[in-house]
Amino acid sequence: MSESLAPLAPNSEGGRGVAQWRHWGVPLIWLTLLLVFTFGMAQLEVFLRLIEPDTRQVLYHRSSLASLLGQHVFVVAVASVLAIVLGVSAAIAVTRPAGRDFLPLVAQLASIGQTFPPVAVLALAVPVLGFGTLPIIVALLLYGLLPIVRNTLAGLSGIDPGVHEAARGMGMTDGQILRQVELPLAAPVILAGIRTAVTINIATAAIGATVGASNLGDPIISGIVNGNTAYIVQGALLIGLLAITVDSTFERLLRRPAAR
Amino acid sequence: MIELFDVTKRFGSETAVDAISLRVEKGEFCALVGSSGCGKSTTLRMINRLIEHSEGEIHLDGQPVRSFNEELLRRRIGYVIQNTGLFPHWTVARNIGLVPRLLKWPRGKIRARTEELLGLLGLPREEFADKYPHQLSGGQAQRVGVARALAADPEILLMDEPFGALDPITREALQRELQDIQARLNKTVVFVTHDMDEALALADRLVVMHQGRIIQQGRPIDLLHDPVDAFVESLLGGLDRGLKEAALTRVSERMAPFGPRLLASERIPYRASLSQALSVMLWHRVERLTVVDDEDIPIGELSLRRLLGAKSS
Repeated sequence: MSESLAPLAPNSEGGRGVAQWRHWGVPLIWLTLLLVFTFGMAQLEVFLRLIEPDTRQVLYHRSSLASLLGQHVFVVAVASVLAIVLGVSAAIAVTRPAGRDFLPLVAQLASIGQTFPPVAVLALAVPVLGFGTLPIIVALLLYGLLPIVRNTLAGLSGIDPGVHEAARGMGMTDGQILRQVELPLAAPVILAGIRTAVTINIATAAIGATVGASNLGDPIISGIVNGNTAYIVQGALLIGLLAITVDSTFERLLRRPAAR
Repeated sequence: MIELFDVTKRFGSETAVDAISLRVEKGEFCALVGSSGCGKSTTLRMINRLIEHSEGEIHLDGQPVRSFNEELLRRRIGYVIQNTGLFPHWTVARNIGLVPRLLKWPRGKIRARTEELLGLLGLPREEFADKYPHQLSGGQAQRVGVARALAADPEILLMDEPFGALDPITREALQRELQDIQARLNKTVVFVTHDMDEALALADRLVVMHQGRIIQQGRPIDLLHDPVDAFVESLLGGLDRGLKEAALTRVSERMAPFGPRLLASERIPYRASLSQALSVMLWHRVERLTVVDDEDIPIGELSLRRLLGAKSS
């Protein structure tokens, strides 16, 4: 733990006020680009026409890109929050003395599950849950659970045993140790797991369009079905920008000093 | 006062500590020594209930430790471990203030106490209070570890090989500081070590453990003179025992007033130990040393015969 914290230390000293804005600059640029393309796609009609000169309709029109983006973010957010709550609590539970018997099982499941392709999870979810938004949320939840559980386990078990020993020896209660010592120390690793989960989920959510969820996957699927590359480009562009925006935000969060 | 009555600890079928009884008086510095795996650490950790004993009773000031809530018990007992266990995400000041914060001291009192302890351990507040543990050297980190253990002014201090990971020079400096602190604060200390010189230098009472049992305990000097068996004898240095004993005695206890002869040319501070005096004699091939005080002013002399314990020179 201490090794990974070491290079972060200089950030914790001085120059915070101005530096803060510069730090968040990269994610802000990507967010701006995402919003510009979402609301200003019509202005790009000329370029889209270069891709599909023969097609009458090059702008996706069945619903506004903004509402598709909103749907997309909503589905990913709901699934991710549920995955974080479930995954982090499961990992915490199996690292407590009472739940330690389940640790090997959960760790195993988490690493096996990670090798499952997301599409397969979705394919399995539809027959059970039917079409629409629900199966995609469940699929994203299940798939997002795995990196979160795995990283939370790694973060918690990576803590120097001496630190844990000292915390107990000083008379901290189990709850105090968890909140004040374990979680803050494991936070960077947990956050990295959440980052992986959310970023993958943003891409995977698009596949939800095949099972009737309406989101940024819609233009892509309908582009494939109708042979309209311009549709595909619009959907893919926005999903890409959304993923990069979120990913660079997490990168910022991870680079901030863990000790505040 | 800490008392252990026939305390046993079993891990599964293995007996780590086997029916030991021990009494550490208030203000006493007790060192548990023995080879690794002899149960000394386990014994220490049973006192603050980091490990629960299987049989027997452990009392603090006459009260069984099981009668206390374990967290409250531990907040009353200072605890120092070998690799410091400082929280890497907290500053030095926050690490030191941990137990007072758990005890809900008012903020001003915690700050004052933290500063007092930084001073006591020779860590200037301006320089160290806001540092993080990874910015400290091993010796500084362990000083912070000791300060953290002392923060809530506990009567009892448990130290588990606190200086084991430090280089010899830093270790000696910290041992000296611990002696000074102990002379001032008069805590009841239980100190686990496998370094016999450390134990001899610091302890009022030496407890030798082997395979989960106490095989001998007493004043260091008594153990040196009367080891109960060959194991204790070898643990206490075997052929080096004479030097270990000499290290326990100061030059000032053996020095004589100036005789009729000229001052010897080689000097030794009166605070030095007899083993150091012997070393100086060996080095310079001389049989007499001039004893000097802190200002390097001669105050007496030490001859080889007196060093060896003869009554007159």
